[in-house]
Amino acid sequence: MKTQSGSLASPKLIPYVRNANDPDHNIQIIGSGSIGGKAQGLVFLQDLLSSSDLIQKYPQTKVIVPDMVVIGTEVFDSFLEKNNLVRFTDSDHTDDQIAHAFQQADLPFFVLGDLRSLVEEIQNPIAVRSSSLLEDATYEPFAGIYSTKMIPNEQFDPDFRFRKLSEAIKFVYASTFFKAAKSYRNATGHDHREEKMALIIQRVHGARHHVRFYPDLSGVARSYNFYPVGKAKPEDGVVSLALGLGKTIVDGGRSWTYSPAHPRIAPPYGSINELLKNSQREFWAVNMGAPLIYDPIRETEYLIKGDLPTAEKDGTLKELCSTYDSQGDRLQIGMGNPGPRVLNFAPLLQLKRIPLNKLIQELIRICEEQLENPVEIEFAMTFSPPSLGLLQVRSMVVSSDEVEVSEQDLGDPNALAASEKALGNGLVENIKDIVYVIPENFELEKTREMAEELDQINGELVRKGSPYLLIIFGRLGSSDPWLGIPVNWGQISGSRVIIETYQEGLSADMSQGSHFFHNLTSLGVSYISLPRAGKYQLDWSWLSEQKEIQKTKYLRHIELKSPLGIKIDGKAGRAIILKSRGKNG
Amino acid sequence: MEDTSYNPFMMAQKQFDNAAELLELDPATRDLLRVPLREYQFSIPVRMDDGQVKVFRGFRVQHNDARGPGKGGIRFHPQETINTVRALSMWMTWKCAVVDIPLGGAKGGIICDPHNLSLLEQEKLCRGWIRQLAKNVGPLSDVPAPDVMTNSQHMLWMLDEYETIHGAKYPGFITGKPVGMGGSLGRTEATGYGVMITVREAMKELGIDLQKTTASFQGFGNVSQYAIELYQQMGGTPVCVSCWIQKEQKAYSFFKKDGFNLKQLLAITDHFGEIDKTKAQDLGFELLPGDGWLEQDVDLLVPAALENQITGESVNKISQQVKIIAEGANGPTTPEADLVIKKRGIHVIPDFLANAGGVTCSYFEQVQSNQNYYWAKEETLGKLDQKMTNAYLDVSKFATKNKLYMRDAAYMISVDRVAKACKARGWV
Repeated sequence: MKTQSGSLASPKLIPYVRNANDPDHNIQIIGSGSIGGKAQGLVFLQDLLSSSDLIQKYPQTKVIVPDMVVIGTEVFDSFLEKNNLVRFTDSDHTDDQIAHAFQQADLPFFVLGDLRSLVEEIQNPIAVRSSSLLEDATYEPFAGIYSTKMIPNEQFDPDFRFRKLSEAIKFVYASTFFKAAKSYRNATGHDHREEKMALIIQRVHGARHHVRFYPDLSGVARSYNFYPVGKAKPEDGVVSLALGLGKTIVDGGRSWTYSPAHPRIAPPYGSINELLKNSQREFWAVNMGAPLIYDPIRETEYLIKGDLPTAEKDGTLKELCSTYDSQGDRLQIGMGNPGPRVLNFAPLLQLKRIPLNKLIQELIRICEEQLENPVEIEFAMTFSPPSLGLLQVRSMVVSSDEVEVSEQDLGDPNALAASEKALGNGLVENIKDIVYVIPENFELEKTREMAEELDQINGELVRKGSPYLLIIFGRLGSSDPWLGIPVNWGQISGSRVIIETYQEGLSADMSQGSHFFHNLTSLGVSYISLPRAGKYQLDWSWLSEQKEIQKTKYLRHIELKSPLGIKIDGKAGRAIILKSRGKNG
Repeated sequence: MEDTSYNPFMMAQKQFDNAAELLELDPATRDLLRVPLREYQFSIPVRMDDGQVKVFRGFRVQHNDARGPGKGGIRFHPQETINTVRALSMWMTWKCAVVDIPLGGAKGGIICDPHNLSLLEQEKLCRGWIRQLAKNVGPLSDVPAPDVMTNSQHMLWMLDEYETIHGAKYPGFITGKPVGMGGSLGRTEATGYGVMITVREAMKELGIDLQKTTASFQGFGNVSQYAIELYQQMGGTPVCVSCWIQKEQKAYSFFKKDGFNLKQLLAITDHFGEIDKTKAQDLGFELLPGDGWLEQDVDLLVPAALENQITGESVNKISQQVKIIAEGANGPTTPEADLVIKKRGIHVIPDFLANAGGVTCSYFEQVQSNQNYYWAKEETLGKLDQKMTNAYLDVSKFATKNKLYMRDAAYMISVDRVAKACKARGWV
């Protein structure tokens, strides 16, 4: 399964056999062509499970790759060609227009019988996931760039289930040509025609609770931590956990991030009050009840949100939460007493009744050894009975250039900004454009409008081919507009360096953990955080004096005479941005 | 009128007798199934465009409806005989049974040559046929469809007459209607795709990698075109196809060693399926005699033109490389040739199984029309794939288990299903 260079080899899969129910072959293929990067990762994991002693070592926890069928890229080619959809490859249609045109098209005949048969065999929610060719060919992560659609697939009528599966497939195909995907490919130097989409049709790993179907826990584990805190070292890795579907983590919502070497250490919240405010309060589930609205061109058509009291009723909080004791102003592990529940995963990480952390640590170690690269793994878990479903593995990009920024350097009087919380590595010497949120105009309830303005300015700078420094407030790329500006990757695709800074009322939790963030760092976009009470502050007044190119309601775009001098020391996590490279760089 | 040299009904009876023998059917069931349940023969007077009245002869034969309403086409043919219609109605019974759709077998016809009739005269003929039969056919009893020299326009006239007589709308009375007027999406592709679905399953079963195979096709009409399309989509390489050249009144085979591109070939083909010889040669096709398609070193042969094409004489030209013959046409193999093929161990997918995609989709049209609710194309074609796959697997499993020739196995399954339905109803 592994080539000499450590990347994944293209495996030969067993063709899908109708009504076979073959437990020995839980990964099969419909159609031919490539299976794409994500599917290759899953085949690698499946082989790993059969060849390692992981399953024997943890007999109480079932570790699996959930049953799946891959639709080869040839089907995508045939679908585009037969329905004349190739015209969307380079078009500037809106996402909705593209999704709608794809819904009107017919899937190739040669897969229809197999798909019908598939929905007749599986009566369990399924996820239709992208598995793109470029993901496979490069180390560039396309996570969150293409859509995933989950469908309940439990209706009595197989015709209905077939229609829903067909709609979901066409939607994920359409997402290949959505704006964010196009911007991403532009930024990574790929031609749109290079991209081909394989699909994974996979059982959703979880359990039904009334009208909701979800895993008790979803997680992302990385063997390298770009942003270690306290005692943690980069090599210890980092894990993010959330209740419910993994969408919370992928979208950069509130999740619990910890170092697997120190699972008992909570994220660096200033106080219990802050932890209460910033821990996960809502979760995603597949809606098994009456559909809310018919909308085949929405990724979330069959998803619903639940809150913690709902999860408590469902009985899914047992291993995940603590209870706030207001009299002692402290957290008590578990749900022994009444009081506000807090998702800090303490029963799991501190009482260790189920050895999830150990299992994950071992898994990432084995994967890292096999792939000869730091890795990222996605998983989902149910607790009764304990069952861990592996959903994805991929190699991570970790920069190795040597740049040093000392503590003294940070105090340079010519600095626009300096930080001890920086990610990325290297020198950036070609940035003359800066786009920033005007501090006086920033309002948390207007972050959606800011995202739109950013999209427009980004578009112009991308057209001009000018990389820029972006300065924003709050957590960038979160789908929750109350945490920061809810941009997607395409809306900031031209930025080379991003500064996240904070204002009163904003969460101090960083972007890290989200796929959005991971995409940025892996593409070499540097990320600098300026905490509210940090030692170093941004020189706002200098910014306001520079030549203005454009001013919108919330944003200002300025252009400098000479480029900024930007140095990021990945090892030390320090960064400095000098106002002029010529003078000081 | 009667053709004394060749009696297709006797041939159909012979085939039935063979299956009945293998199934050890009781005498009463044999007597019931050897002949049609009902036959209608009648006159249709038509006032022609010149003011004269001409009387045409019409037929409808309902061979058996134990499994459901009768289903079968209406043929316009100058050499039509009651025996041809009887034979065809019996074959319809077996065809519906082999794909396990809840229909019986029927067939109809009018002795006429539509080439010599104006559109108005054809309309009167259609309406006249319905007037004679309006009480004996219908969505719950016998559902006609287009066949030789009849088309969707004829079906619409017939439907209109039927609805006028009965004073209500019955779109499920007839199939083969145009899309938008009660027709089903996917009907055009259905027969050709159906042939290739059975081929796909056969290759899986025989352990042949379809993507490494080559194929030769007889005929370039609707069935053949869609069979080639799907074959190519699945990765196969078509190398030869034959077609009829009207002007020369003879057929040619078009051969390209490394495989041809269907789109390229369609671009130089007219709507009768006639390929332009000169342009084909420009594209690098080699021009061979009409039966050249049969002689190629290929893995798959698909006769999809007329009956009696593989004869006792031509069967010996079939290459040793050929592993599968899928009969897209009705009765392309003579009994004499069939014996040779059986002996050589070539895997045959018999006509009434291979080309049952058409009637299966007609059944889907009937279901949609009865509900007056129409499906998406991919829903129709998805169901077609499942029906055809299941039908093929039923036959091949039965053949393997009982060490039977595929044609015999298909007959046995069909006859057995119909016989059981007759018994369950208490008829025999």
